[in-house]
Amino acid sequence: MIEVKNVTLVYGSGSESVPALDNISFTVGEGEMVAVVGPSGCGKTSLLLILDGLLRPTSGQVLIDGEEVRGVRRDVALILQDAGLLPWKTVRENAELGLRLQKRRESVDGILSALGLNGFEQRFPAELSEGMRRRVGIARALALRPRVLLMDEPMANLDSLTRERIQNLILDLWWEMRFTGVLVTHDIEEAVFLGQKILILSPRPARIRAVLENPGMGEHEYRGSPEFLEQAKNLRRILEMNG
Amino acid sequence: MRQAIAYLLGVILVFGAWAMISYALAELKGRPVLPYPWQAASAAGENIWTLLSAFGFSALRFLVALAISFFLGLPVGLAVGFEPKLDQFLSPLIYLLYPMPPVALLLFLYLAFGLGEVVRLVVVVMALFFQVVVAAQGAAKFISPIHVIAVRSAGASRWQVYWHVVIPATLPNVLTAARVSVGLGITMLYIAETKLGILLPPGQGLGRFIEYYTFRADIALAGVVALAILGLLFYVLLEVLERKLCPWKYVGVKGAGS
Repeated sequence: MIEVKNVTLVYGSGSESVPALDNISFTVGEGEMVAVVGPSGCGKTSLLLILDGLLRPTSGQVLIDGEEVRGVRRDVALILQDAGLLPWKTVRENAELGLRLQKRRESVDGILSALGLNGFEQRFPAELSEGMRRRVGIARALALRPRVLLMDEPMANLDSLTRERIQNLILDLWWEMRFTGVLVTHDIEEAVFLGQKILILSPRPARIRAVLENPGMGEHEYRGSPEFLEQAKNLRRILEMNG
Repeated sequence: MRQAIAYLLGVILVFGAWAMISYALAELKGRPVLPYPWQAASAAGENIWTLLSAFGFSALRFLVALAISFFLGLPVGLAVGFEPKLDQFLSPLIYLLYPMPPVALLLFLYLAFGLGEVVRLVVVVMALFFQVVVAAQGAAKFISPIHVIAVRSAGASRWQVYWHVVIPATLPNVLTAARVSVGLGITMLYIAETKLGILLPPGQGLGRFIEYYTFRADIALAGVVALAILGLLFYVLLEVLERKLCPWKYVGVKGAGS
């Protein structure tokens, strides 16, 4: 379970300070998948970095399983925007990166073949399609068998077909591995497809504008159903409100 | 293979041009100015053992200087480029020392390092060291933050960040810079072998070989060619090293490597 309590983040100090997050509080239950939507540049990525322990909030705190986050935790994994693969490492080396950094000897063969990457282990990221690169990024995070998975726009800048495939993949993996998920996105349909609960942030400094319950989420078929479209419409209406 | 042929063709071209210039100069001045390639070749043949020994000494000297420059310059450059605090304090110092010709400090170098082999190496190292530092620093400044986040998120220590991100991210640029500074390095090597410390015998450095035979144009020219070959050798060596150490630069879409 993730508890975010009154998290405020201010970049810089004095007259040049820029507030990024303003008093954010929410909880994500064990095994729950939460989507965080908001306009570009509203501080969504900063929020994820705080959850991951890479960034210290100016005030407030984050608890994971009741324990305050003070640094990187081994049971939390992060999927980066544009995958963030290291160009000098092969697919296998990239997927193994987290494990090796943590001196863990587990194999990544299973996860690579589950993501359709077998046969490409010795390739470099530059040799892959964009969709495959994203899957390597997902493999790198899931190889750690995390209890909490943080995702920073994992489907951004993909063509719509590939985007849907990767959305389905993440949904399937969530069912299979039952991790607690926080998905940051600016895509309305994506939030409705993947978020059991949708957090809507305001423009900078980000505040929580609304929380939308989305009980229909969970099946591939949800996409395109009348309830799905209704939810997307609700979400769009909230996002378009001023203030 | 194709590259080998290209190099061979280049060599033939150079020698052809050389012969033509020799001919043109001789016609123009009415007396020999620049020996023909074959004259230099036969001079090289007559002095082959001295020449080979000089080549060996120079190659070894340059290799050692290059290795020391990398060994010292890479950590300094990467740390200064990657750690903003160090950058702030050390960058002015580096850029102050960078344009300083080492030989301008000759007296102090003699006092510190004596008149032997060490001072010669120091001068070449001083020239190459700053090339490596500046290249590494420049490259380390532009490391993508997302790559650093990727490893830190998995719990990487500071040292692991260097090993998995900073070093591989900057290696291609550093090797390219090293390749470019081979020219400067050879010039410094020549100065070190001719102007520094106790006078060398001609068989202990190409620079000294050339200087020793200043008034035997054909032999001197053979030495100059050997020095050029030495430079080319290191240029190729660094290119091969880059191909071996940075294979990801040579895959994927054409042009994606740059």
